[in-house]
Amino acid sequence: MSRRVVHLLCLTAVAAAVGGCVSKAHREAERAVADYYVGDYDRSVRRLTPLAARTNEDFVLNNLRLGSAALANYDLDAAEGAFLRAYEVLNSVGVNDGGRTVGAVLVSENIRIWRGEPFERAMANFYLGLVYYMRHDYANARGAFENALFKLRDYGEKKKGAKPDKYAEIESNFALGHLMLAKAHQRLGRDDMAEKYFKRTGELRPDLAAAADPDANRRANVLLVVDFGNGPRKIGDGMGSVVGFAPKPVDVGPPPPPWVTVDGQPVQVAAVARPPVDLLVLAQDRRWQSIDTIRVMKDLIGTGLMTGGMIYGMQHDSRPEIVLAALLGGALLKASSQADLRHWEMLPRTTYVLPLTLPPGTHDVTVNFPDVPGVRQTWRGIVAPPEGEEATYYLRMQRWNNGPYQWPPPALARRNDTVPARADAAR
Amino acid sequence: MASLHLAAGLCLCACVLAGCGSAVRHGRSTALDSVDLVRMTDDMAMKIIADAEVQQAIGREGSLKVVVQPVENMMTAEVLPRGPAETFTARVRSLLSRHAPDRFTWVMNRDAFYRLRERELDVDLGPSPDAISPEYALVARFSSITDESPKHRSSYYLCVYELFNLEDRSVLWTDKYEVKKSAVKGFLD
Repeated sequence: MSRRVVHLLCLTAVAAAVGGCVSKAHREAERAVADYYVGDYDRSVRRLTPLAARTNEDFVLNNLRLGSAALANYDLDAAEGAFLRAYEVLNSVGVNDGGRTVGAVLVSENIRIWRGEPFERAMANFYLGLVYYMRHDYANARGAFENALFKLRDYGEKKKGAKPDKYAEIESNFALGHLMLAKAHQRLGRDDMAEKYFKRTGELRPDLAAAADPDANRRANVLLVVDFGNGPRKIGDGMGSVVGFAPKPVDVGPPPPPWVTVDGQPVQVAAVARPPVDLLVLAQDRRWQSIDTIRVMKDLIGTGLMTGGMIYGMQHDSRPEIVLAALLGGALLKASSQADLRHWEMLPRTTYVLPLTLPPGTHDVTVNFPDVPGVRQTWRGIVAPPEGEEATYYLRMQRWNNGPYQWPPPALARRNDTVPARADAAR
Repeated sequence: MASLHLAAGLCLCACVLAGCGSAVRHGRSTALDSVDLVRMTDDMAMKIIADAEVQQAIGREGSLKVVVQPVENMMTAEVLPRGPAETFTARVRSLLSRHAPDRFTWVMNRDAFYRLRERELDVDLGPSPDAISPEYALVARFSSITDESPKHRSSYYLCVYELFNLEDRSVLWTDKYEVKKSAVKGFLD
């Protein structure tokens, strides 16, 4: 057998091995996402736990997936750990240094470590904060919610000849983060800061004035955090080089309002049941998207090579092989700008924050979306603490997990916790 | 010539693959890290033991009964999970119990004591917090200011440690550790 054939076989074997490993991991992640969608959070956590331990290019994404599944499963330790691992990488710089940058530029964007779009990063911080909030660790909840309010990049109106990465930094309009930050400050006894962020929430979204009422929030002893619908999906065009998000809000209409019943009686939540965030809207907002530097650079370099090649080709003493190489190289670079379509599939479309004031004791609570048949969830034995305290309950609405569920869920029952708060409130 | 091309191609592949090792290897953050932990706690332990007022209190009252609390997170846009929050004060306790065992009686924070006991770890937890009533508390508060721009991120940390009397809330000793950390953003940040 010739040496060339041996080389070829070796390279094919390596490529097959790498490709096989990647696709197996991706298939497992897809199964975990499917488990999540049908409400089998326990199985989703089991599938994602080994994937999230691998420090590959999907490290952040798999940890966020694991965090979502563990949170829905009320495994707050696992959720905290997963969101924290993602948070650490998201807050680092240079994670793609070394060969990943070269690989992402020359080969495929999928080689780079996924760090998500700005709206995905904001939600990652929100969920980390929510886990701490549920555990009454309000100082860390405050820190995470603050981190969700990072500055956004406003690219303004596109002018002819303007550089594609020119932008101004502006304050975040993430009303969900402002609202939860206000609540965390209120629980920390910082009424001045709480007032500031409640006010800011109302300024950003006047329809959230009731949900951001300081007195109503202070009185509330039960907080329902309800994730509804599915977040945006990243899609490419036929050539795979242009990225967009689907569905668009106009295609699916506004998020429907929830109805809440406690012990069979309807509770008036119409004033507070407004969606503080609509991720389908954020995904279409340029300020909430990352500019795709790699593809822009490849596109620019490719265009430059082709233009340069043509200009050079028009000269008398030009060498045809150089012209051909420039044109081909430019065309290849432009053609190789394949989009990275990875995204956090478990994100909801919106998250409702519903503060309730209930008599202390246990209650049966149902959250229902009458406008969407089949989407309802019932919990029996929900604990409402005495006045001055607050218990937070997270509900992930899916068609397949209507319940009724008994409080505490198995993951909390194993820890002997009756409310999702822990003694570390003392901190 | 052909083998030179093959070698160059393989080298390029090797470089790309070598850099694709880990999502946590290359990243740099401005958060407090293990170097700060060691520097800060070494410094604080040394300063407590050398403080004149602490020496006087020991001379007057004998071994000081001190409860150790986890760090209070007052940092801007940063979380400090329970483990590190406990470590930043627990290491001061550990250093002092090694170097000045007769001057302090350490009482573990009630939450930490019961959590560790629940895990049934084979470590000496010291006396139960219910058996000994502490007279002093060792606490720490971390604050930060972060400045972030498209090109860099920098954070200034102020870490204040206090040993205070639980009865009258008077501060017996206090000191601080300050550090500024910055990181330059790269092409894909």
